[in-house]
Amino acid sequence: MLDAHAVEIALQSLRRYPLRTALALVGMAIGVAAVLVTVAIGTGAQSAIRNQLRAAGLNIIQVKAGNYRTKGDGGGGVLAPHAFLLWLDGWLAPTAHAHPENDPMEKHDHPTAADRLGDSKAGLGGAATLTQADADAIEALPGVANVAPGVHENIRAYAGERRWFTRLHGTDVDLPLIRRAHGIAHGRFFSQRELRRTEQVAVLGSVVRDKLFGEGADPVGETLTLWNQAFRIVGVTESTNWMTPGTVGDDAFDAVYVPFTTIHRLLNVTNLNTITVTTESAGEVSNIAKAISKLLRVRHAIPDTAPEDFTVTTQASEVLAKGLHPNVARVLIGNLPNLDRATLQELSMTLERAARTMKALLAAIAAVSLVVGGIGITNIMLLSVTERTREIGLRMSVGARARDVGAQFFAEALTLALTGGLLGIVLGVLVSWALESSLGWAMELSLGGIALGFAVATVIGLLSGVFPARRASALDPIQALRYE
Amino acid sequence: MIRTEELTKTYALGEVSVEALRGISLEIEAGELVAVVGASGSGKSTLMHILGCLDRPTSGKYFLSGKDVSELSSDEQARIRNQQIGFVFQSFNLLPRTPAVENVELPLLYNAEQLTRSERRDRALAALDSVGLSERAAHHPSQLSGGQQQRVAIARSLMNDPSLLLADEPTGNLDTKTSIDIMTTLHALNEKRGLTIIIITHERVIAEYASRIIELSDGLITEDRPIEAATAPLAGV
Repeated sequence: MLDAHAVEIALQSLRRYPLRTALALVGMAIGVAAVLVTVAIGTGAQSAIRNQLRAAGLNIIQVKAGNYRTKGDGGGGVLAPHAFLLWLDGWLAPTAHAHPENDPMEKHDHPTAADRLGDSKAGLGGAATLTQADADAIEALPGVANVAPGVHENIRAYAGERRWFTRLHGTDVDLPLIRRAHGIAHGRFFSQRELRRTEQVAVLGSVVRDKLFGEGADPVGETLTLWNQAFRIVGVTESTNWMTPGTVGDDAFDAVYVPFTTIHRLLNVTNLNTITVTTESAGEVSNIAKAISKLLRVRHAIPDTAPEDFTVTTQASEVLAKGLHPNVARVLIGNLPNLDRATLQELSMTLERAARTMKALLAAIAAVSLVVGGIGITNIMLLSVTERTREIGLRMSVGARARDVGAQFFAEALTLALTGGLLGIVLGVLVSWALESSLGWAMELSLGGIALGFAVATVIGLLSGVFPARRASALDPIQALRYE
Repeated sequence: MIRTEELTKTYALGEVSVEALRGISLEIEAGELVAVVGASGSGKSTLMHILGCLDRPTSGKYFLSGKDVSELSSDEQARIRNQQIGFVFQSFNLLPRTPAVENVELPLLYNAEQLTRSERRDRALAALDSVGLSERAAHHPSQLSGGQQQRVAIARSLMNDPSLLLADEPTGNLDTKTSIDIMTTLHALNEKRGLTIIIITHERVIAEYASRIIELSDGLITEDRPIEAATAPLAGV
């Protein structure tokens, strides 16, 4: 029914009515573009959630120097019968052991005692118990992927006249591998060689960069002054996740990263505040956390009865306890064995489900606009058949068969739909790109989405072509010629 | 060329049926220029539709070039219209917003053997040239006068070298002077190419151009006579 010839005739006719053709194309293009963009938003949000879960550290274990936990919290969920009482007890009369300032879950707007005292033993548990040798030992455990030693200080960072009170993280070159949500906006992370030679190089978090050098600036090569020492800025790290951009006061991007060896040299110390560990698989987190505890107890020669002089936490417990009163959090975590395995998986499933629902909803809305675009084409073609009745009669009088006329109108509708579909794909890609770069939304254009948009456009073209084509071909030439 | 035997055509208009043709038998030789005249409702348009293979008779036979075409399927009829018959209409029936040359090409789009774009263009331009409109090939109908539009339509009707040209009130929408032009053109086509032309008209003066006049009344032929001197009868008008 359709050959190149019919398409040629159809194109000729479409050219004769440029405004009508353009309007039909726009309707179709917007429909297809809407499908594409909404699917891209849905997919983007879905993978943003996935990334965030990964970035939240399904597989991260933090080992902190010192032990600020209260009695009974170390065993891992054996105090169920007393949980409420304990919580009540802690709530009503916080013991000396649970001084809020020492709680690792709390954020403080002032340097805590531990911070103020720096490396000296900070009362409870002692903060100077971890060493590089511990980190090396942990790295040797099976199932451990990366180990990053950390030295953390609060610090005033100066750049010229400007200054900013922020966190200083002394760390290893492995950190970017561990923190997947950290992207490098400018420059690079510091290198193994710089670490080895204890060079004074710094990577700025995006918030520090904004405060010291202006929003979005590229300070690579500039000088940062810490403790009256000049540090060369080699890079800027920023969040790769649009849902969690860096904010003032956060530990990740309101921060300066330097080689931990450099801090050791400048402060003349050798201990670590933290050791960050990633496991090869998220499911192993609990077991490896236990293995680390056991290893460190042996290394630190702690008798079975004595409390640990370090704290092993998984990110799962921190995520769950976020925003809760420390005592509540403690009880909660203590009472949920294998919490990192169960809860985060459930959380991720719930979020995935929510994202899928959102995606389906968006796609449904877009599909409506696509159908409207298709009806627009049908409408225009039907109108066109009526309006061009005499043309149809004339074509028949010069030898067009009914099927030739039908093919022409069918080809016109199909051409409109397919061209509109292609335009829609281009438009959708452009809009997605614009949304991503201007609003920072995560957009994920998939071939599947593009194929879907185009397939729907084709189906609409076929459907919207059939009816007008049948109408046109059923016309009687004499009636059509006489039509006024 | 054309032979009909007792053509009848009955239209059913609800309960009432109207007999548009009540038994037309006629013969037209190749190369004749025939005028069919009659009052409106006399059946001349119906006759033209049947002769033009746009319609089928209710009964009777129609032989075109010796072949019975009264029982053909609509696809076969379309084929004959495309190859053997040219139409010229009162209202020109040019495609709006379309250059004259593309209007002229139209019949070629429906040829069984398809021509290339440039072949079509060449033949259309040649046809426009033969009606003296090669200068206006790119003009749209709205940019052409009535006479020019009708000449474009004539060029279109000649594209596939038809053996029969059917003109339905070709001058009905034109002033006298332009009418003379168009009739002269048709007359010349008949003289030079030997094209068989049937003109349907209700204007006597136009009919005077023909070599033969057939008059219809109430679906029957009431008069069929040759005209001796078919030269410029309009000169004195």
